[in-house]
Amino acid sequence: MAWAKVIAHADLDAFYASAEQLDNPELRGKPLLVGSTSGRGVVLTASYEARPYGVGSAMPMAQALRKCPGVLVVPPRFERYQELSAKVMATFYDFSPRVEAISLDEAFLDMTGTEHIFGPPQQMAERLRQAVFAATGGLTISVGVSNTKYVAKVGSGFQKPNGITVVPPDQAQAWLAKQSVSRLWGAGPKTQSRLQAAGYFSIGDIAAAPLAELMEQFGSMGERFYALAHAQDPRPVRGRGEARGEQDSSGERSGSMSSERTLTRDVVSRKDIEAHLTRAADRLARRLRSKSWLAGGVRVKLKTSDFRSLTRQCSCTPTDSAHDLLQAALQLLAGFDEPGPFRLVGLAAHSLQTEASRAQLDMFAATGPARRLEAVLDQVSEKFGTGAMQRARDLSANTLVKEPPNLDFMEDLGDEGS
Amino acid sequence: MKFSTDRETLLRSLQLVNGVVERRQTLPVLANLLVVAKDGVLSLTGTDLEVELRCRTGEVDIQTEGEATLPARKLADIWRSLPDGSSVSVEIKADRAIVKSGRSRFTLATLPVADFPSIESGPGNIELNMEQGDLRRLLDRVSFSMAQQDVRYFLNGMLLEVTGDHTRTVATDGHRLAMCTLPASNDGSGVTHAIIPRKGVIELSRLLDEKDETVSLRLGANHLTVSREGYELTTKLVDGKFPEYDKVIPRDSSRSMVADRETLRQSCQRASILSNEKYRGVRLLLDNDQLTIQANNPEQEEAEEVVAVEYSGDHLEIGFNVSYLQEILGVLGTDQVRISVSDANSSALVEGPGNEDAVYVVMPMRL
Repeated sequence: MAWAKVIAHADLDAFYASAEQLDNPELRGKPLLVGSTSGRGVVLTASYEARPYGVGSAMPMAQALRKCPGVLVVPPRFERYQELSAKVMATFYDFSPRVEAISLDEAFLDMTGTEHIFGPPQQMAERLRQAVFAATGGLTISVGVSNTKYVAKVGSGFQKPNGITVVPPDQAQAWLAKQSVSRLWGAGPKTQSRLQAAGYFSIGDIAAAPLAELMEQFGSMGERFYALAHAQDPRPVRGRGEARGEQDSSGERSGSMSSERTLTRDVVSRKDIEAHLTRAADRLARRLRSKSWLAGGVRVKLKTSDFRSLTRQCSCTPTDSAHDLLQAALQLLAGFDEPGPFRLVGLAAHSLQTEASRAQLDMFAATGPARRLEAVLDQVSEKFGTGAMQRARDLSANTLVKEPPNLDFMEDLGDEGS
Repeated sequence: MKFSTDRETLLRSLQLVNGVVERRQTLPVLANLLVVAKDGVLSLTGTDLEVELRCRTGEVDIQTEGEATLPARKLADIWRSLPDGSSVSVEIKADRAIVKSGRSRFTLATLPVADFPSIESGPGNIELNMEQGDLRRLLDRVSFSMAQQDVRYFLNGMLLEVTGDHTRTVATDGHRLAMCTLPASNDGSGVTHAIIPRKGVIELSRLLDEKDETVSLRLGANHLTVSREGYELTTKLVDGKFPEYDKVIPRDSSRSMVADRETLRQSCQRASILSNEKYRGVRLLLDNDQLTIQANNPEQEEAEEVVAVEYSGDHLEIGFNVSYLQEILGVLGTDQVRISVSDANSSALVEGPGNEDAVYVVMPMRL
């Protein structure tokens, strides 16, 4: 049977840990955790050798060390992961022009119409796997292939590591039915226990339930679960530059855009926080301009070393200028009465809107030089690369901020499906 | 502490004081009211550290003097829900407050009085007395134009300007500006400026009614205290520089139209229904003695209103946020309204002919 759509989900196996084992043969075959070696923070990735001990990503490092005594811990090298990730993504683009990167280590590929080049799904996935292995010098991926993003994603997780799972469209619902509700997209631990309390243990249990009942119990989430359990997921694979998020008729986009970083070390001084905000404002403004959006408000988020999140927000004259975002952020910063130390500094642009909101004139508006300068910097970056030209102010900031990987594209996904 | 009273005596005070208490607090005690019974007077105080309101009344029967802090919202909710005319007693036993009325009995948790913060308002630089109605007018004519959560924090409030011969309020969010001026013979010379934060303005306005009564204002470096019979409100002032408002009030009224205020208000109201829900833009077309208001929305639905006006200038098209026009037309007290503009990219002056105590400036929208 011909497939109307062919969607692959490819996921690098224990990416950070595998990357470390790739680069250092002495680590191969050994239980290994990537994360902070100071014993604080969480496990970023556990190698497959460590997983039988019950450790996994996002587990507090201290707990992981208790579960798996003697495990090797190496600090993350994000630059290296980014480099490897870029190779992997480039390989994906050899297979399809439509690749949607979800994070450094996973992506959806729309393979519709490529059967004539790469063969049937199983063979296609096999070639993808081999190509990544060759391009990276030894990293493995797991691949799921089906006709929807959702089933492809569940598929890639089905036979990890280094596995391929092909689920033909006409078998998708039956195949899903055997999976646990923990495989439902959008069901976190809390929702899972709610589902189980209501008697839903497998996705098949959900497929068998009447829609009205699910909606009564879980609201709009119930409706989504119902669709997923019937292997329905209309989300397309979005390639580079394809807009995400719908605009409503008034031109305002729901949701926000944020740039936040968990810091390599906690910060206390206002100067250090400002350096992070400066960086974040630049990033956000660049992304706003590239998408022709304006921010109608700014939100600053600080997370204390004991994991309390504090936020302050304000509205502003719609803007896409880093200068304006930063001015607002600095004012908000003054409104925090928490001394710190802080482990995370974040800046968000909210009340996103289109150019139409510029129609209202402001009697005290003073836009001009800053915005124009930034637009020129955009062009320079585009031609000569990011960071080719910087403000003198940011040179000193660079010594304070160690540049972590750019994961902004992940944050853009934040409001998808909500 | 123990006192008793009837429900109505304290109902309004409780509701007013409760208005100051924020729903989410940084300190637990800020969710509470400070209740003090002493020398035959009962006082209730609520605060959010920015605005503090104290009500005092002698119309309660104090059996035992004392003080305590009680949960504000719960106390007000209980009070409101009691039947009209109930008599109520409040008694503190250890760290509990017992509220009794008829066959109802409530035991509330208290927090230590020592934790309850008070705003230290410092000495006053200027003292003014004015009619309650005048102060209310100064607030209500402009407060709707205050900004909200604006990054230009000094706009999130209202300017109070006191000179030897007038008292003036100004509020603006950058899109529109409202100014109200009342003549006064104030003590002292020179000009004093203070920015009252948004919340202070709103709570103050709630406190004032139409009664013939003098209120006194004490303006210090960082605080404003307003006292009227039984009530005292203290608000912190916004530490910032308010924009030079007289620079944005247009002086060029080369094109000026006069219309019946209510007719224009209703036309705007109807046109607004089909304006863009978010941006609220309408197009005003001025021709000889005729104003046409046009609105359309993304669904391509359209409204057109024609209003007879006095206008003798040349043809002009200008866009505005219709909500701004509606709000101004709603608070102007005159039968007629005059709108003066110079061109489509400059601000418009809106005023009531013959009653110039309040004037409004609206920035246009690009069409």
